[in-house]
Amino acid sequence: MFNLFSLSWRNIWRHRGRSLMTAGAVGLAVFFTLIYLSFLGAMENGIYNNLTASVGHLQVRVEGYREKREFRDLLIPNAAQVEARLATQTQASRVVALEIPALVAGETRSRGVLLIGDQQPPELRERFAKQYLAEGQLPEAGDLEGIALGASLARALKVGLGDPVYVYAPGTEGRGAGAYRLIGLLRFPDPAVEARSAYLALAAAQELAAPGSATRIELHFPFTRYSQDAQLAAVQPALAASLGPGLSLESWREASPAIAQIFNLLTPLVLIFAAIFFGLAGLLVVNTIYLGLLEHTRELGVIVALGAGPGQVTRMVVLESLLLCSSGALVGGLLGLLTIAALSGGFSLEALYGEVGGAFGLPEKVYLSLRAWDIPITLAYALLTGLLAAWWPARVAARLEPIEAMRFTA
Amino acid sequence: MKSVLQVKELTKVYRVDTVETPALRGVSLEVHSGEFIALAGPSGSGKSTLLHLMGGLDKPTSGEVWLGGQRIDGFSKVQLSNLRLWNVGFVFQAYNLIPVLTALENAAFVLELRGEPREVRETKALQALETLGMKDFAHRRPNQLSGGQQQRVAVARALAARPQIILADEPTANLDSKTGLALIEHMRTLNREQGVTFVFSTHDPRLLERVDRIVRLEDGQIAA
Repeated sequence: MFNLFSLSWRNIWRHRGRSLMTAGAVGLAVFFTLIYLSFLGAMENGIYNNLTASVGHLQVRVEGYREKREFRDLLIPNAAQVEARLATQTQASRVVALEIPALVAGETRSRGVLLIGDQQPPELRERFAKQYLAEGQLPEAGDLEGIALGASLARALKVGLGDPVYVYAPGTEGRGAGAYRLIGLLRFPDPAVEARSAYLALAAAQELAAPGSATRIELHFPFTRYSQDAQLAAVQPALAASLGPGLSLESWREASPAIAQIFNLLTPLVLIFAAIFFGLAGLLVVNTIYLGLLEHTRELGVIVALGAGPGQVTRMVVLESLLLCSSGALVGGLLGLLTIAALSGGFSLEALYGEVGGAFGLPEKVYLSLRAWDIPITLAYALLTGLLAAWWPARVAARLEPIEAMRFTA
Repeated sequence: MKSVLQVKELTKVYRVDTVETPALRGVSLEVHSGEFIALAGPSGSGKSTLLHLMGGLDKPTSGEVWLGGQRIDGFSKVQLSNLRLWNVGFVFQAYNLIPVLTALENAAFVLELRGEPREVRETKALQALETLGMKDFAHRRPNQLSGGQQQRVAVARALAARPQIILADEPTANLDSKTGLALIEHMRTLNREQGVTFVFSTHDPRLLERVDRIVRLEDGQIAA
């Protein structure tokens, strides 16, 4: 036995070709929106992982460090104690770094650099080496002699692996100068970074410029997805309170506000594009529903004559539109999910943006993935399209006068 | 007998731009429960217009329409929809079945609009189809039925809803004489056995022999 639902369903398939084309347009809009959103999710995750791998999810710094110009004002004294205190508060991995403005020299040439001495947990050190180490190795923890340089910096200094490198850090609290051996060459996507990067072990850097101190302590949480970032808000205040006076705890958002702003813009931009897809599909839905209305005006006249009120007629038209959109959305959604599942193993975009992408923190490989609200929001778009597309035809249908409608010829 | 429907001094004037065409001029008529009445007259005499006004499908220019004790000529669109849904059954000249529904579903359509439960709808619609000899065709679509069969389904649709009155606008006009007479016989039987009140329009003289009362219309007025 039928009901108004099945009547609407049968009505939309009376013109199979037209309905298939319209449902197909909605399906395509759903398909592309899901792919687009999953691509956005992949890019978000990739950029997020790259960024947080290099700066940490949270960073301990000296309070007001942005305004301070003197090297010694930027130092966190007793960095090992601060790190130990953080270790009792969180399971997050910690990177202790000391950044020193320094002069690096070979036998014949010298350059100004930002010398970084750091101590990383093995997994982060391995990742760093995999991404940036071109030749040789990174200085091991406690290595007081080895230094790694950006490859272009080494060329500028005319030094190669095994050659001596001299570092001057005048006006600091350590030895102020040291001789090292070049053990590693690094390649960074950004040439400017490569031309002024030099890496020592933390112990060597402290000995050179600031015994026992660091300029930042990074906390790396085991997050792989951008959606997990919200968890930071829950731990940040307690960790900040444990630091004591003179130190601040910043999230990566606070440390890199420009990138955080880009993250904030990505989703609205995608949703605007999705709205354009659905707007175009919606025009086809309006056309199909309105043509159907014109062709079945006599029938609607009979239905009104038999006692259907304006509300029931409106519901029938809206139901037709929703069913048309839902059937398209279902097929498009399934195809979209299958495509995303097939590409979730990751694919390279290097052909698209080459090596330059790395300079902007773009991931080498993207892994299509959907966030929790991507599917509901896409389906909501499809249903909203159905509702908006039905609005005008439903208004026309609800105003039909039975006698005029039954005499109507299309 | 109890009065089901009454029209008093009913006029209907159609206006197209500045041209006025009177379709009814002061028609008064009373229909009692269980009557089987024919509105007779030539084309353009106002039969269909009178049926439409009696069933709340249109509003009169002046005069009164009373149905089931209520004056309906001033009803709103929604009130008229409800009135038609619960009190009036219609049979149209062109059958006007819904092509995507089966005979059974068409017969149950008004009950669906009323929101009656599925089992009730099915039982009442099947009964109505059986009464009209259409039970065996219950699962056929209109395009699989002859004109006479489609019109019997249309009567079943009106009958299944058990309205106070069934209004039929030239129900046999599209049927051959044998099928038309058979349909009128079915309606007559329903009228006699179940007391269903019928008012139908026709200009076929053979059908007029089978009715209780003939109301003749000429130029929008009841002929003397």
